[in-house]
Amino acid sequence: MSLSEKLYKWFDERLKLRELLPPIVKHPAPEKVTSNPLYCLGGTAFLCFLILVVTGMFLAMYYKPTPVEAYNSVKRIMTEVPMGSLIRSIHHWAANTMIAAVMLHMMRIYFMGAYKKPRELNWVVGVSLLLITTTFGFSGYLLPWDQLAFWATKIGTGIAGSIPVIGVYISLILVGGTDIGAETLTRFYAIHVLILPATIVVLLVLHFMMVRLQGISGRL
Amino acid sequence: MALIKVEKHEIDETEHEPVRVRGFPFFPHFLLREVVVMCLIAGSIILLASLFPAGLLKPADPFDTPSPIYPEWYFLYVFGFLKFWTWGIGPIEAKTIGVTLPMVIWYGILFLVPFIDRNPSTDIRKRKVAVALGVIAVLGILYFTYYSIVHH
Ligand code: HEM
Repeated sequence: MSLSEKLYKWFDERLKLRELLPPIVKHPAPEKVTSNPLYCLGGTAFLCFLILVVTGMFLAMYYKPTPVEAYNSVKRIMTEVPMGSLIRSIHHWAANTMIAAVMLHMMRIYFMGAYKKPRELNWVVGVSLLLITTTFGFSGYLLPWDQLAFWATKIGTGIAGSIPVIGVYISLILVGGTDIGAETLTRFYAIHVLILPATIVVLLVLHFMMVRLQGISGRL
Repeated sequence: MALIKVEKHEIDETEHEPVRVRGFPFFPHFLLREVVVMCLIAGSIILLASLFPAGLLKPADPFDTPSPIYPEWYFLYVFGFLKFWTWGIGPIEAKTIGVTLPMVIWYGILFLVPFIDRNPSTDIRKRKVAVALGVIAVLGILYFTYYSIVHH
């Protein structure tokens, strides 16, 4: 028995691989999906998300979410931390690529009519994912605490605040007071690294389970 | 005659469903293609990151308003629409409409798409209205994005 066979047997005796693997490994992927690159967009968004998680973890080791330290900690990442500039730039580009991929993915679903019965609910989960993804971008934009970050957030929260009825509350929850300050920065940080990641993971699990359950819609 | 055609078409469609089963197994064919595509995308992101590093301007200063202020590119259309829409309707202020339409109403419509579009066909030639509305929406967002850059 070769080493790989021995290893397989060892795991098989414990994890029942023989029953577990075939449905995953042999699951047919439709021909059209394999040949048409438009079907890669969802997967591209997901890959970007994974890259964001990994690079984000490294950034969180050096970033400090207070008005006094935020800017300098980012500056330190860019100038002193080994590979820091590369990691932050990858985080930046993966974020923009993810948003673009999600939007294009949604356009493919729309123009192919892939949201029709039985996939209505997955479309609804999808729009929530779009909202979460753009909110990720909005909350991340403030964190470097530079001029653009500060003023774009001021205008952005101002716009959200002028939505009738709920706007005042949205703005109060986001800003944590009347002016963008220390309270806002810690909130945006908590939203960016705790609340949104937890939410998106739940939504992604639902999204992928439904794709698996319903299959990918067949016709162009 | 037309009716028969439609019926025939529907039968066709149901017969098309099992097409799903006639394909490549997920492993290794599909996965291999996925891995190739993923390498290309990860490579492009790393290339972009090394050629165009993320920026960092001067530290935030609450007493010095810079100009121009740009949000992330995917929010530009909201800014653009807000600048574009200057008409109040009755007691509703122009600004309220300018904020509500591109955010609340737009996302509301997006959520409801599958329930508004009851046409069961996925054939693009039989979905002229939905496709036309989709094209208008895309062009609209592009236009207001452009508008926000020109009129900041
Ligand atoms: C974080 C964002 C998202 C990720 C990672 C993601 C991922 C995926 C993946 C991997 C698929 C398999 C087929 C494909 O890749 O084209 C898929 C299918 C699907 N997605 Fe998404 N998606 C996201 C956002 C969205 C959005 C914004 C919508 C629409 C509003 C959406 C609606 C759908 C629907 C309806 C399907 C089933 C398509 C079919 O059966 O042909 N998703 N998604």
